[in-house]
Parts: sequence; C-alpha cells; structure tokens
Amino acid sequence: MKRRDFLKITGLVAASLSFKKDLFAENKSQIALAEGTDYEKITKNCLDALGGIGKFVKKGDTVVIKPNIGWDRKPEEAANTHPLVVKAIAEECLKAGARKVKVFDRTCNDPRRCYVNSGMSEVLSKIKGVELKYLDTEKFRKVKINGLFIKDWELYEEALNCDVYINVPVAKHHGLTGLTLALKNIMGIMGGNRGYIHREIEDALCDLNIARIPHLNVIDATRILLRNGPQGGGVKDVKVLNRVIASTDIVLSDALATTFFNLKPEDLKTTMRAYERKLGEINLSRARLIKV
Amino acid sequence: MKISPARISQLIFFVIFIYLFIVTDYRGKDEINLAINSFFRADLLVVVSHFLSTFSFNILLLPGYLMILTTVFLGRFFCGWICPLGSFLDFITIRIKKVAPLNFLKGKLKYYILFTLLFASVFNINFAGILDPIAIFIRFLTFLFYPILGYTVKSSWGYLYSLMGEKLETIEGIYSFIKLNLLPFRDTFYPLAFLSALMFIFIIFLERYEKRNWCKNLCPLGTLLGLFGRFSVFKRVPLRLCKDCKDCKDICPTAFDVEILNEENCIQCMDCRLKCKFKRAGFKITGFKWQLKNFSFDKRLFIYSSLSGFFFSKIFKAGQQNTKFLRPPGVVDEKDFLKKCVRCGECMKICLKNALYPAFMEGGLYSLYTPILIPRKGYCEYNCTLCGQVCPTKAIPELPVEVKKKKVIGIAHFDKNHCLPYAKKKNCIVCEEHCPVPDKAIKIREKTEKDYNGKDIILLEPYVDDKLCIGCGICEYVCPLEGKAGIEVFREAVK
Repeated sequence: MKRRDFLKITGLVAASLSFKKDLFAENKSQIALAEGTDYEKITKNCLDALGGIGKFVKKGDTVVIKPNIGWDRKPEEAANTHPLVVKAIAEECLKAGARKVKVFDRTCNDPRRCYVNSGMSEVLSKIKGVELKYLDTEKFRKVKINGLFIKDWELYEEALNCDVYINVPVAKHHGLTGLTLALKNIMGIMGGNRGYIHREIEDALCDLNIARIPHLNVIDATRILLRNGPQGGGVKDVKVLNRVIASTDIVLSDALATTFFNLKPEDLKTTMRAYERKLGEINLSRARLIKV
Repeated sequence: MKISPARISQLIFFVIFIYLFIVTDYRGKDEINLAINSFFRADLLVVVSHFLSTFSFNILLLPGYLMILTTVFLGRFFCGWICPLGSFLDFITIRIKKVAPLNFLKGKLKYYILFTLLFASVFNINFAGILDPIAIFIRFLTFLFYPILGYTVKSSWGYLYSLMGEKLETIEGIYSFIKLNLLPFRDTFYPLAFLSALMFIFIIFLERYEKRNWCKNLCPLGTLLGLFGRFSVFKRVPLRLCKDCKDCKDICPTAFDVEILNEENCIQCMDCRLKCKFKRAGFKITGFKWQLKNFSFDKRLFIYSSLSGFFFSKIFKAGQQNTKFLRPPGVVDEKDFLKKCVRCGECMKICLKNALYPAFMEGGLYSLYTPILIPRKGYCEYNCTLCGQVCPTKAIPELPVEVKKKKVIGIAHFDKNHCLPYAKKKNCIVCEEHCPVPDKAIKIREKTEKDYNGKDIILLEPYVDDKLCIGCGICEYVCPLEGKAGIEVFREAVK
C-alpha cells in the first residue's frame, strides 16, 4: 500500500467517523427526564425539552400512540401506562396539527376490561380527535422482517401505516427479561402466537423494533412495578417515582429507565443486545441528559 | 286488519327478549344492573323443577312463583302473550304450508315428557332446561345464530378492508358502532351449535303439520302452564264450537282440535273474539271451580313417568368424571350444581374470554349443555364475576370479586415432557407472565445449565405453588406451544 493511499483511507475513515459522531450528538443521544406529581405537565415538559412534539408531528399527520394497556389492572397497580401520560401526548399531537391520534394495544386480558380499568377509556373518550380502538383481527398483515430470529410475522397495519408512531410503555418488572420497557412494548402490535418469541426474546425484540422503529419513545415511570410483573396486582410492589422520560433513542430510553430500578443498563440482556445490534446508545455518559 | 292486544304484547316481549340477549355481555361495568335472566326467572318449568330437585324456595325465582298465581287466574296466557319462541312461531307460521296433523302427538306424549322431566328432578337430576322452549331459543341464538352473524359481518368488513384499506375510514364509525353494540365481541364457535340448531329447526319443522304444533303437543313448559291454567277463572265462551259457524276451529291456534274447547291448551290469545263474525265468542270471568273431571292424566301416567324419570336420572350417570372436567368459578358441589343448572347458556354467552362451553358427553349424558371451562380455548378472567350474575338459579353462585378471586376451579400442573424449559432447555415462562394472582401462583427457579448445544445458559424453570393456584387457566390458554399445552389445569379435590 502506498503512503498516499494509506493517508487517503485513514483520512476518509476519520472523516466518516467524525461525521457519524456528529449525527449522534445532534439527533440521537438526547434524553429528557422530567419529575413532578402533575403527570400531564411533566410529560409535556419532556416533549418540550426535546424541542417540542412539532419536531415529529406535522400538520395532517395520523399519529399512533402505543401505550401498554395489556392488563386488567387499575392505574395505581402500575401494570399499564398511566392514562394522563397518554392524554398529554395526544393533546400535544393534536395541538401540533395531527389529523387523528389512534391509541391501541393488543391486550393480554380481555381488551374491554383493560381499556376500562386502566383508565384509558374514561380519560381519552373526552378528547376529540383521539380514537381508543380495539384491534380488528382483519388488520394484521404478514410482514417480511428477515431478522436474526423472526423471518416474518403478522403486525398491526394501522401501526405500520401511520405517519408518526409513538411508543409509550410503562416501566415495570418482568420475569423473563428482568424489566419490560420501550423495546418490549412492540409486542403489543404483534399478531399470532406472540409468546413464541419468548424463547429468543432478545434478538426477536431487536428484529421487531427494526421493522417498526418508533419516532419517539416516552417511558412512563410515574410509578413503577418492582416485583411480580408484568401484571402485578399488589400495590405493595409499586413504587411512586413521578418521572417521565422521552427520547428518540429507544435503547437510551431503556438504559435510563433501568437505573430507576437500581440496575445497570448492561444488566438487561435485551438492552445490551439492542445496543450490540446498533439500535441505539446504551452508555448514559455518552448521551445528553436534559432534566426538567 | 285488526291487531290483537296479544300480538302487540308478543311483539314487545320479543323485542325485550332480543334486547336482553344482546346486552348479555360486558359493557364496561363489573356489575350488570339489568335482570337479563328475567325470562328464566319467570319460567314455570324452571321454577317447578328447581323446587322438586332442591326442595327449597329461591327468592330469585319470585317472578316464577307469581307466574303460578297469575296462571291459576288467567290461564295459559304466557304462551300467547309472552313466550318468545311462541311469538316467533306465530310470526313465521303463515309462510309454512300445512299438511294434516300428526296423530301420534295427540295422545299423552306431552304429559309423559313433562312428568319424566319432573320426576328426574325429584331424583336429583334437573333435565328440564334441555327441553325448555326459552332455553332452546337462547341456545340456538348463542351457539349458532350469533357467532355466524358476527363472523359474516366481520369477515365481510375484513374483505372490504383488504380491497379498500384506509379509504374505508369514512364509514368505519358506523361499522364500529354496529360491531360494538350489536355483534358479539369475540369470535367463538361452539361445539354444540349443530344440536342446538337441530332442536330449534325441528320445532319450526313441526309447524308443517299444524299451527303451534310444538306448543300444544310437546312443550313441557306449555303443558305445565296448561295444568295450572285449567283452573283459570278467565275463560273463553262458548266452550264449544257454534253449530252454524265453526270458524274458531281454524282461527284458534291451539285449543280447538275437536268441537269442545281444550281448556289446558287455550293460550288466551283472543283471536277468536277478534275475528268472530257474530260477536259471540268472548272471554269471561267465571267462578272458580275445582274441576278434575276430564283430567288428562291418570295413575298409569304417574307410574310410567316416575319410572322413566328414575331411569333417566340414573342410567346415564357418568362413572368417573374426566379430571379435566372443570366447572365455572364458585361451583363447589357437582351434585348441587346438577340440581340447579337450567342449561340455558347465559353464562356461556356472557363469559368474557369464552372459557365456558356447553358439555356434550364429557360428564355423561347428565351434563349435556351444562357449562364447562376449557382453558386451552379460553380462560376465566380474574376480576370478572359475570357468569354468577347472569345465572338465573345461582347454580353458579354470585360472588363478590374478592371472594371469587379465591375460588378454586382446579390446579395447574406442568407437563415436563412438553414445557420448553424442561423439555428443550429453552426459556419461555409466558405462563408466569400471565398468572393473575398478585404473588404469582407460578414461580420461577433459576438454574445455570448447559443447553443441548453445550452452551451455558441461565434457565428459568417454572413451577406451581398449589396454595396460590386457583385454576383460572390463563397459563394453559397462553402457553405458546402448538397443540397441547405444557401446563394444564386439572380438577382437584376441594381445598
């Protein structure tokens, strides 16, 4: 190899690396953390810290908010996303000019009971332009994923067709993955026998999150479930934190939320695997944390 | 055309019946305030068979006890004014061409049927619901008509959606309204749909021979009402056909097979009064007479039907009930359950996660149409108490949520030859994830092991804590193994 070639190559590599780093610095490694007892307000503060929802939602957009409404549990039992967090996001989207905001989840318990007892029905039915919908079986479409574990799977069409997809999980304990956070929330748009992916959960979740990358992740940690998750049911297992975090980086969101449970981000195999597969940043020191 | 008051009443009750059927569902509230089982609670056959099998009164059946009194005064008006099946037959019978009546139905067959059912109740097996007309109607709607209606509408919409996609959004509101308010929420098909349809179609088929053929010649409820109604003080006059006219023979749907009015069969529809050219036919209050002459049953009927009742209640007894034979939550004593269950299908209609299905032969012929819980097809929702609320006789007890949550339906057992962590050394624990007991009846043991490729893994092995398990069956339902589940709920001795 000639010296000139060597210089050229190293120069190019260095340039591309620095370019990539810039990208990270600007877009990816920002995360907002808000604290307070007014859940609507802290959620809005979080969004504002990232530059406002207008960065993601344009006039006339169809927005899908995908909270966790998986269980027939009450808000204080911390098994579902807090309805006020969802409400705040939905209102911001409408303010930014969204044509329609759809909210849904594939529930584990009976969908009607889940929607009612999670408080979603009551809170969201009052807002015009927001649709809290039950899933229709005919709207699952087989999608080529070609991932490491999942080759193809049925995903929910409305979640794929929308202009903006906002991922709004609740932070809680989970027997298999340790915690269930933003990465695992994708299971709510899966059709079919979704328990199947538990056998290779880390890679499966990465595959799915590549197929449907959320534009924004908001993690509800207003109260977290420490034990007996993901369903809980005992208020003794719940800890009130009054926190909400938001980021476009799904791995970073999970990493920060993990620390709320006194765990290191690397302790969660799912987050670690997602980092290895370049879905985002796991190292909190490399991110910009905006506290509000 | 003149419309009789009876016809208007039929229409009103029919609409109520269909309305109550549709709202037999979860509508966002844990408690159902409407008495959606009203028709069964006013059903004389249910009331009498319940009394004979339990030898006790049940406050819930008060409308039925009142029905006895009203029937003694007003006659068999239920059949002509209220019964939804009777109304349905009246609506369609005009379109069915008649051939000659079947003679073999004219004997005492209906009494044998009724008394066999009642004697079987005395011998502790309450069969009455199988032939109860309202139960037959409800079961036809629940097991066949409603699922097919739901399937047809939903799949048509699905097809439209696959053609037009999001363009349908404009009319989606109308569709969702229909879907949420009129159609079944879940798509369940029932194993006994065929038999339920057959019974219903058989009754319609009988209309080929004469008007209200089922009602006047077979229906055990009608027969029973007739027995009480024969003492009625409210009677049609004249008691026989007028020599110069005889139109009543054709007008009357039930009571004029011969020249003389069959008082047991008169359903008080008053069509004869409305259509009488000479204004002679009418209804009058007469003095109460304890008349037992012409009483259509005798000693022989009594002896034979008690024998056949005994026969039915003993001969089809199941030897050993299948250990997977699970009853709805709160049912503790199988014998007591069989005395009370009306087999009406209300619990199966309302069951949120379609855990309840009608039994066919699983528990012997005894159990036909009684509800059993099949966890692989649906599970018992932890916070739901609806089946107990709609049960007309409380064969499934109505329990407060906190009590129901502790009622043991069965106990879950792992099958280590199937369950993934045991059989394949792969992590799974979907069952533990779904276990609704706050402290988890399925617990996890962590083990470091080599998998079958020689790789070191941390294996999470699930096991059941028998003290906490209530057998709701969600673990078996969600087990991601294809076909047979790695965990199954079995009936246990009462804890």
